[in-house]
Amino acid sequence: MNGDVLLILIVVLPFVGSVLAATFRPNARNSEAWLAGGVALACLILAAIAYPAIVEHGAIRSESEWLPTLGLNFTLRMDGFAWLFSVLVSGFGFLVVLYARYYMSPHDPVPRFFAFLLAFMGAMLGMVISGNLVLLVIFWELTSIFSFLLIGYWHHNAGARDGARMALTITGIGGLGLLVGVLLIGHIVGSYDLDRVLAAGDQIREHDLYVPALILILLGTLTKSAQFPFHFWLPNAMAAPTPVSAYLHSATMVKAGVFLMARLWPVLSGTPEWFWIVGFAGMASLLVGAFFAIFQHDLKGLLAYSTISHLGLITMLLSLGSPLGAVAAIFHMINHATFKASLFMAAGIIDHETGTRDMRRLGGLFRYMPITATLAMVASAAMAGVPLLNGFLSKEMFFAEAIETHAKSVLDTSAPYVAVLASAFAVTYSLRFIHTVFFGPKPTGLERQPHEPPFWMRFPIQFLVLACLVVGTIPALTVGPFLHTAVISVLGPNTPFYSLAVWHGFTLPLLMSAVALVAGVVLYLLLNGYLNRSEAGPPFIRRLQAQRIFERVLVVLSWKWARSIEARLGTRRLQPQLRLLVVAAFIAALLPISLDDLSLTSLRISEIDAVFVLIWVSGICCAVSAAYQAKYHRLAALILLGGAGLSTCITFAWFSAPDLALTQLLVEIVTTVLLLLGLRWLPKRIEEEGPKTVSLGTRFRRVRDFGIAVAAGGGVGVLAFVAMTSPVPLETVASYYLEKAYVEGGGKNVVNVILVDFRGFDTLGEVSVLAVVALTVFALLRRFRPAADSIAVPDQQRMQNDFDEAEPDRKVGDTIADYLLVPAVIMQWAFPVIIVLATYLFLRGHDLPGGGFVAGIAMAAAFILQYMAAGTRWVEERLRILPVSWIGLGLLLAALTGMGAWLFGYPFLTTYSQYVELPTVGATPLATALLFDLGVLGIVVGATVLMLIALAHQSTRGLRSARVATEAEQEEA
Amino acid sequence: MTGWSHHLIIAPVLLPLAAGALLMLYDERRQFLKATINLASTFALVVISIRLAEVADTSATSVYLLGNWPAPLGIVLVLDRLSALMLVLTSFLASAALVFALARWHKAGAHFHTLFQFLLMGLNGAFLTGDLFNLFVFFEVMLAASYGLVLHGSGPLRVKAGLHYIAINLAASFLFLIGVSLIYGVTGTLNMADLAVRISGLAAGDRILLEIGAAVLGVAFLVKAGMWPLSNWLPNAYSVAAAPVAAVFALLSKVGIYVLLRLSLLVFGAHAGSSADFGSGLLIVGGMATIAFGMIGVIASQALGRLASYSVLVSSGTLLAAIGMSDAGVTAGALFYLVSSTITVGALFLLIELIERGQNPAADILAVTAEAFGDGDEEAVEEQVGVAFPGTLAILGVCFAICGLLLAGLPPLSGFIGKFALLAAVLTPAAGTDGGILSAAWLYTALLILSGLAALLSMLRFGIRTFWAPIEVVVPRVSLREIVPVVLLLLLTLGLTIQGGPVMRYMQATASSLHSPQQYVDGVLGAPRVQPQGAKAE
Repeated sequence: MNGDVLLILIVVLPFVGSVLAATFRPNARNSEAWLAGGVALACLILAAIAYPAIVEHGAIRSESEWLPTLGLNFTLRMDGFAWLFSVLVSGFGFLVVLYARYYMSPHDPVPRFFAFLLAFMGAMLGMVISGNLVLLVIFWELTSIFSFLLIGYWHHNAGARDGARMALTITGIGGLGLLVGVLLIGHIVGSYDLDRVLAAGDQIREHDLYVPALILILLGTLTKSAQFPFHFWLPNAMAAPTPVSAYLHSATMVKAGVFLMARLWPVLSGTPEWFWIVGFAGMASLLVGAFFAIFQHDLKGLLAYSTISHLGLITMLLSLGSPLGAVAAIFHMINHATFKASLFMAAGIIDHETGTRDMRRLGGLFRYMPITATLAMVASAAMAGVPLLNGFLSKEMFFAEAIETHAKSVLDTSAPYVAVLASAFAVTYSLRFIHTVFFGPKPTGLERQPHEPPFWMRFPIQFLVLACLVVGTIPALTVGPFLHTAVISVLGPNTPFYSLAVWHGFTLPLLMSAVALVAGVVLYLLLNGYLNRSEAGPPFIRRLQAQRIFERVLVVLSWKWARSIEARLGTRRLQPQLRLLVVAAFIAALLPISLDDLSLTSLRISEIDAVFVLIWVSGICCAVSAAYQAKYHRLAALILLGGAGLSTCITFAWFSAPDLALTQLLVEIVTTVLLLLGLRWLPKRIEEEGPKTVSLGTRFRRVRDFGIAVAAGGGVGVLAFVAMTSPVPLETVASYYLEKAYVEGGGKNVVNVILVDFRGFDTLGEVSVLAVVALTVFALLRRFRPAADSIAVPDQQRMQNDFDEAEPDRKVGDTIADYLLVPAVIMQWAFPVIIVLATYLFLRGHDLPGGGFVAGIAMAAAFILQYMAAGTRWVEERLRILPVSWIGLGLLLAALTGMGAWLFGYPFLTTYSQYVELPTVGATPLATALLFDLGVLGIVVGATVLMLIALAHQSTRGLRSARVATEAEQEEA
Repeated sequence: MTGWSHHLIIAPVLLPLAAGALLMLYDERRQFLKATINLASTFALVVISIRLAEVADTSATSVYLLGNWPAPLGIVLVLDRLSALMLVLTSFLASAALVFALARWHKAGAHFHTLFQFLLMGLNGAFLTGDLFNLFVFFEVMLAASYGLVLHGSGPLRVKAGLHYIAINLAASFLFLIGVSLIYGVTGTLNMADLAVRISGLAAGDRILLEIGAAVLGVAFLVKAGMWPLSNWLPNAYSVAAAPVAAVFALLSKVGIYVLLRLSLLVFGAHAGSSADFGSGLLIVGGMATIAFGMIGVIASQALGRLASYSVLVSSGTLLAAIGMSDAGVTAGALFYLVSSTITVGALFLLIELIERGQNPAADILAVTAEAFGDGDEEAVEEQVGVAFPGTLAILGVCFAICGLLLAGLPPLSGFIGKFALLAAVLTPAAGTDGGILSAAWLYTALLILSGLAALLSMLRFGIRTFWAPIEVVVPRVSLREIVPVVLLLLLTLGLTIQGGPVMRYMQATASSLHSPQQYVDGVLGAPRVQPQGAKAE
């Protein structure tokens, strides 16, 4: 088979299997197992097929383009080391699937379990055969994610949830660190390709960024392999189903950290930084893990701490920077996986059969399950490092390395002692595991009678234990060649001579082993009584649990700090936000100013017209007073605002812009009227109670806000002044418009030509805004119910009504009808007049002040007058008003007019104009722009009237709600 | 592009305009017809935008002269890779949100369909226009429609936050106007390409005025993009908006980003003399502050809606700082990140509503059927019975997990690739420097990683609380119409991942043309008018 296809298959198969597995029925235990087992076996076979090629060529590669420009390709690369891990992952995967088939209850929803398990297998395989470091990180993170999902498989247990979350948090942090570390490596080397990186060892070690890159990568590896001080997630991950613990948390995933350290060993190791960080973490994990393991009562807890310790051993071996250490590390990776997985499975069987994993409750199980007990004993012996088992071999190599001096330091000097001590601890906890579980008195209070598990459930353990034995007795003939292939692929030409013999003669390491064995047994005998009585956890520091600290930190971070910072830096109130906005704009405008460049044009008094100044002074007074009164007297503020608008209006007229003046005037009128209508429904101002004493804080705030307002307003004023007094740029669009308006636009009124032709697209957009705003106002007010305090009838109206009621010959409403009689008649009669005026304004627009916009507002004013004169009901009974349709039609007309140009091959909104001789009217300008303008008219009328209606209907609603309220009161009474 | 197909450039503006206008002619009671028109227009926009993206990717800048007036004088629409990209993103997200809304939300208030179409018109116009004032107009179209939509569904919370939103954005619009006026006053032009040409020849005094104008204008865009401390309105408004509205709003904050990216590279590029890279330092600092604030908000969020809103801020901050770095590689990464994060947050907003529906079935019914408390003239709500398929919770859970991965930037989906592309570019020093990594780059890297971590922690907390340890298991009633858009959006991120190579190439081409804007300027200013029939083209 082609190497390319083979590698891709190995990665893809498990994921395909995972997706398939997820679709099975919930209780399809058997078919799931067949599927998963088949996938695992297939991967194993694929790996086996690849072996000859790897031995021959050193590595096989497959490269498919993915993100070539970023240097991230889907590169797979299997060398001896990756091959070894692929076999471990798929082989153990097969055994675990077999085991899980019997372990999982028939009621468990297994599709999820097997789907995650297979996906994990795929991720792990992808990780080990990644030929690109970023790809490796991707698969790395995937293993963390699937580990999270598998730990939390029984998520109804709080322990499983917490354990899963902690595992993902810790390994996730590490993974993110690893990513940055890998990016730095890529920055140094210029490529993420593993081959290129492995060839650039010197370059990396000499680079300034070596230390940060190293620290970040180690953050990833040490968290993943549960090394001190990140070890605490692993014991908590034991809430996972036992097959998961056996597979992920002893044999494969936790090995990812040491795998990567070994992978990058030729590149990163050999520096003091590497030695210190890795060595310290390894030694601490070795010792702390072994020590803590002794004091666990939970079988899986013991095994978890033992795993930490053994991974510490591997880490320490890697820290030394000596090739022999690396060989021992790789060898121990295999050995540890073998015996630890079998022990986990045995623990699972015990749990399965007895219903408990608490060593204090267990005992004497040998009589019930002799075969399992024997297997567990052999595996424990391997874990303890008893001769003739595989654990012994790698431990001897470790001892031999520990004696050697690699770098003169405390760490190196203490290594042999620490090694022996940890080894003794390992003997102690192994002994405890066997002794308390299988020997001694019969267990009491068990839910059921334990017995041997089914053969196939035990088979994986048998197989692994056999492997321990065979490797332990004839290593050179069994694992030797494969180990050698792996070692060569890591160390290359630096591969040292090493011997896998069981017997090396009477050496110092052998003596150390003997000492450790004896000391371990003695320690167990001493501690046995205490252990059965004590709580779980080592003495004295039992309370100091890293897990607690971790959770505490999380809570403080997320709950206390984050929330208080969020509250401090953010706000939900409008006022501070607006203040911030104004201040930000002010500062932003201030930043570009450098004083020496700024020149204010000096004002020449002679050019000032007194009347014009007067208009502006009164306008400014109006605006300031409006702001001042906005809070205290809304009506006054509104009227004053009108005054300010009026002075703008006059200004336009003053500077010969009659068109703008006219529009501004009408807009002022209509908006003021609409606002007045709305004013009625605003809630009443909250009257201040008590004496008017203003606190210092309030006073300060007011002064500050006043200062901000003056500064920002003044700033805008100065800007406007500077902008308007500085010389006009030579070539502006304005001059062009003046030139072309009549020649090409066909109109003498330049403003109108700009609106409907030059920038007709803007107009189309702006009228759309108007339309949308009207719809929004309508949609909002349709639901609006007047506030309770504004429902009441105003005093004036109440007095009029009282008067009408008091007089026998008057009906309610007569007074108002009386004194509005004359204006009402005038207003009603004005309707046709205004319509004609609007038409006139509309038609003359292209050449003289006027146009669709002005005409529309004028027409809307006609409707407003009708509503004011006769009331909502009266008007709506007589006039069928469909403002939304007017808007829609107007928009369509405008858009279609623009599209008309397409028929002649011109872009949207290209206009065509001509004068047409009409009877009686005379020469009339007839531009397509006129149609466009008609659309504008429709929209303006429709939108204004729609808003008017939305407001006007409040009064009918207000009355209704008032009626409902009184009725309710009466009912209560 | 020639002939009729040339008019395709303006279609993303005109189609929603026409659809919106048409929708106004039909009564609120004809919901089915309205929904059909809306859907047809939105789906057509997907097709059009994809076609435009193809055009943009193959040919140079395409220019559409409105009214057949030549470039600096009339208004132009400009189609290049960046605007096409934004159009495609808009149409996809809008389609998803709309289909989602058709399950029930579209009946929660008046004129939903019309407002939706006008929102699209505003968005598309803002992305296409090459004229500063026209940009303002389309901003207003977009904002006016968004005012209506943020209030859609009504209720005191929405009205309060919605009115705040309106107030802030109106104030920002004033700033926009002031800025545009100043720029026009100094340069005498509104055309962006022309502006880029004229800026180099400005006198010192005028340059100050122009920069002040640009600064004030920038503040308006920063409000829209949600830069801290101008971003407080955003979480409040986004978290209470109706789900489909919030999903589209995820895009709205990107309009500010788009404009900043466009203008800072076009106008304040290397050719701008002493104004080159104007404000970029501020963008970097502000962007990073925004990431930090958003990150803190993400961690502190006690409701999923706020989490998603703060994620919008994180995304904005990431992009703002990336723009500030003004490096082509970073820009390419930022564009990828922009697409990915917008889709993610959009999908998340939709998903949240479905999930929370399960947690408290009363809450959303309250919002949707608020209609029932209205007057008699309002139509009664039809009970929408969804197809409650058994795996509902499982599907929601998977979608939620994927959103979590995307937000946290964990592999294997596009969230990771976006972050990877950004980080790889940030950590690769530009040519000409001494090869060291700037402290800003370090800080940015740290913030990017930490913000991912914050998202991870927060999503974990919510995910575990919702799916693994619910107080009472209520399987939400979710109709197919609601879950399919979410799934499709998430599949889109998968597509972005698998097709990462071509997509990244497009982004890099976009970035490189943004960083050398001469082609854009030449394309716009040299665009030929259509000559009268018979006459030869110039």
